[in-house]
Amino acid sequence: MQTAQRALLTAAVAATLVLTGCSSKAVNNSSGGGSAVKTDVGVTDQTITLGVLTDASGVFKNLGLGITHGNEIWADEVNRAGGICGRKIALVQKDHGYAADKAIPLYGQVKDNVLGLAQLLGSPILAALKKQITDDKMVSVPASWASTNLDTPSVLMVGATYDVEMLNGFSFMQEQGFVHDGDRVGHIYVDSEYGKNGLAGSKAYGAAHNLTVVEAKVTATDTDMTAAITSLKSQGVKAIALTTTPKQTASALTQAKAQGIDVPFIGNNPTFDPVLLSTPAKDSFDKFYFVNGVVPFSADLPAAKDLAAKYAAKYTDTPNVGVDFGYASGLVWQSVLTTACNDKDLTRQGVLNAVAKTKVDTKELAGELDFSKPGQPSSRKSYIAQADATVPGGMKYVKQLFESPEAASYRTPFQH
Amino acid sequence: MQTFLQVLINGTGKGAIFALLALGFVIIFKATEVVNFAHGSLALAGGYVVAVLKPMVGWWSAAAAGITAAAVLALVIERLLLARARNASDTSLAILTIGVDVLVLTEVVRRLGTEASPFLGDPYDVKPLTLGDVTVGRSEVVALAVSVVLITAFFAAFRFSPWGVAMRAQSENREAAALMGIRSSRVTASAWAVGGALAGIAVLFLATQDFSGGGLSQATHGVALAAFPAAIIGGLTSPGGAVLGGFVVGLTEAMTAQYVDLDFAKVAVYLVMLLVLVVRPSGLFGRVVQARV
Repeated sequence: MQTAQRALLTAAVAATLVLTGCSSKAVNNSSGGGSAVKTDVGVTDQTITLGVLTDASGVFKNLGLGITHGNEIWADEVNRAGGICGRKIALVQKDHGYAADKAIPLYGQVKDNVLGLAQLLGSPILAALKKQITDDKMVSVPASWASTNLDTPSVLMVGATYDVEMLNGFSFMQEQGFVHDGDRVGHIYVDSEYGKNGLAGSKAYGAAHNLTVVEAKVTATDTDMTAAITSLKSQGVKAIALTTTPKQTASALTQAKAQGIDVPFIGNNPTFDPVLLSTPAKDSFDKFYFVNGVVPFSADLPAAKDLAAKYAAKYTDTPNVGVDFGYASGLVWQSVLTTACNDKDLTRQGVLNAVAKTKVDTKELAGELDFSKPGQPSSRKSYIAQADATVPGGMKYVKQLFESPEAASYRTPFQH
Repeated sequence: MQTFLQVLINGTGKGAIFALLALGFVIIFKATEVVNFAHGSLALAGGYVVAVLKPMVGWWSAAAAGITAAAVLALVIERLLLARARNASDTSLAILTIGVDVLVLTEVVRRLGTEASPFLGDPYDVKPLTLGDVTVGRSEVVALAVSVVLITAFFAAFRFSPWGVAMRAQSENREAAALMGIRSSRVTASAWAVGGALAGIAVLFLATQDFSGGGLSQATHGVALAAFPAAIIGGLTSPGGAVLGGFVVGLTEAMTAQYVDLDFAKVAVYLVMLLVLVVRPSGLFGRVVQARV
């Protein structure tokens, strides 16, 4: 008898918990913004709260700080202009230190308080949280660009993916006369989602132009590229592509100089970090080009100059390309939220629906972005940049935003 | 042929630095029979002192201070911890050094923070030397020269100095040596100090663009531990074996990276170690211990 009573009590408590749990997620019909707008998580009558899962203490601290500052400049600007849908933007920042095991509980802390994530920094973090953000319908802007992550509508990827970057990169190399059809080229890549996605791009370009791509696979923690360069030199490559960490880039470039292999290098956007310009490798960057979906901080272009001025007025930290990316990500969110507001649906599902209709012009920051084609990158355009120690941000563009024919016709893994 | 020479030079250059590290392991083991797992963090601690002092007093003084600091730290570890656990087994003491390693490593990495990792090879880093068709990093050439000088000095000291004789005597038979009036504590302490100083010297070549492609960071500790197979291959009781083991590791890595696979290079070192251990369980030149049953 006693057991039966206890079982009944447990069932009752469980049922209450489930019902309360459900009720907290019930859809509200709020009257904010003039007329009834449906809301659920992270949106009140006064505020839209977005999460910022960044690295403020780990290896990508500088980049994380830049992106967060970019997010903040955007949010301040929106709030000064009266907000979106009659609501102010609030950012909730959490530091995961580039560690997936820290990011998972931090996501748990914010997920019931935010509508989406304005920033989700790091490939390993995205890999760890991808299923959760998909299940939670949490629209998130990742600071990582593998096209293999475009299979979920929750990933709001701002700019070109690594494979597309490589296609544009090789197209630039050929246009400059650095490589010709039929050449052998090398590709040093990290054995990860990032590296493999970059390699997919160079292989696709190779297939179209009869290039033989000599692969040199390295692990992410390797920092010494001596053996990789010796190997590529002995195979007579005419150019070398890099989908590596910044330290590996520095080692590859210094070793190439040391071993007398005088070929141009093309790298994906994460291969360069301005910090490298204050290491012993600083004089090895003259033949290094890298592909970037976002404008370099100090570019002499109206949108970049405008943002640089806003940054200088508010922050004293050394700026980097993250500022432009963070601000451009904000513009994308602004467009998504405005569409959702017009549709009178600021719920997570409403935001997902809005993403599928979003096209936004970020001017010179990242060009025109189109999120209406599921499985495809929002842009196939890239800048080509070079290191330049004399300007804030440490880089200058050598070719303005462009889309190569190879990138335009390339089929990404989840393209329908 | 040119590629082969380049690979040979890559391997020899790296081998010189592994030899320096392995020699430190071996000197401590020979005198005390304790495997010092804290060798990597001794190197890191010495490197940290160099990085901090370099902007203030210049490279040469900072390097001297760093080497001294690593030696003093090793001495402190021996005096404060190991000397007080005299009756503990060598295995327990080896595990104690793992604990010390974790503490020192964590503290140095915390102090280094997230700033750009400092490079420590100012006078020779990224100044390659060209010899005909092949080039070699100057860091590796300097490391090779330093290794040759130090190793020669050690062999001379082992053979001719009273310190060397005492150390060899203690290594042969600790009790008999003590009965002959050799002060065990002094020999042990000096072996730790010398081992620490060697770690302090090695880090000046480890944290360079030429050798590891990175500045002083947690990764330096990992690279330092890669010298462990070198000591095992050569035999933990043989300084000459340690030097040879260093070159075996360097050359195995370079050769397999070029002629087999880049990925395979790191594994190949351990395969060679296993092979050596199967054929000669005490390493190539290690002392064969015979027990009468």
